Amino acid sequence: MPERTAEDVLREEYFDLLPDIRRLAEHLEAETKHRLLAVSRRLHEYERITVHSRIKDCESALDKLLRRERQQGRIFDPNKVYTLRELRDLAGVRVLVFPESRMNEIDVALETIFESRTEDPIRSDSGETLAFKYSGYCPEATGKIPGECQIVPMLTGLFWEVEHSAMYKPSPRLKDAVRTPELRERRQRVLDALGAFEREFERLARSETL
Amino acid sequence: MNLTELADKERILEEAGYKYHFERALYLNRKTKKAFSIEFVEDMPLQELQQKIAEDAAGPGWHFFFTGGPPSEYIQQKLSEILG
Repeated sequence: MPERTAEDVLREEYFDLLPDIRRLAEHLEAETKHRLLAVSRRLHEYERITVHSRIKDCESALDKLLRRERQQGRIFDPNKVYTLRELRDLAGVRVLVFPESRMNEIDVALETIFESRTEDPIRSDSGETLAFKYSGYCPEATGKIPGECQIVPMLTGLFWEVEHSAMYKPSPRLKDAVRTPELRERRQRVLDALGAFEREFERLARSETL
Repeated sequence: MNLTELADKERILEEAGYKYHFERALYLNRKTKKAFSIEFVEDMPLQELQQKIAEDAAGPGWHFFFTGGPPSEYIQQKLSEILG
């Protein structure tokens, strides 16, 4: 019988963890929607908040671990021991917000969703915060793995969703494609344009409603 | 690392005949059988990268340049099989 590879061991770990991953994702979505009820009821007619939970699929989890470990050549080293429990986003919830001025309010409402949270904001190449991201444990759902919460401006988040489903999902390793300078620069231009559109729209909408 | 510096490095690599391999995140030159990981390219000062590009590769097989030294024999063998 051929020897089991690091990928085999990690795939087995993934399917052992899957019930916990699912339970955590459902818990995070329900808890987030509940905590945001008060904010949702006060929205203007042009404002939107959507909440979606997601679980990372097996191959994306393996790929994430390779990148996280800076495993060069993207091959697992058989002399090292890996575990998917190090990943902080096997289960997560993403809150899309339009306009982005609501983000702080949502952040406050979700402040205690995790027992204690580790902040890891998503930043642009120039260091500007694009979205809030934090992770932590929810012992009510599972103590085995942490979950992740993202609060993202809606237009940016929708762009990321297209990017993810069109580019990375078929081949998770293409995520490294965006590290080349040309794609990074073009991606940054898209994000700048979406941000500028959102801020201008909000300025006009507010002047209309005053 | 700023984008301009990374773009300069990429241009130098391209001029030296290197292509980016998305699946493995490596810059490859199939003629000289040299491969630089993207982490190596990002971490290495421009001048040192130029020196590594100019160095003659010893031996017929692939030569991998990774941050933290050459990869293990297992990884070198696997990558060599994949890259051909």
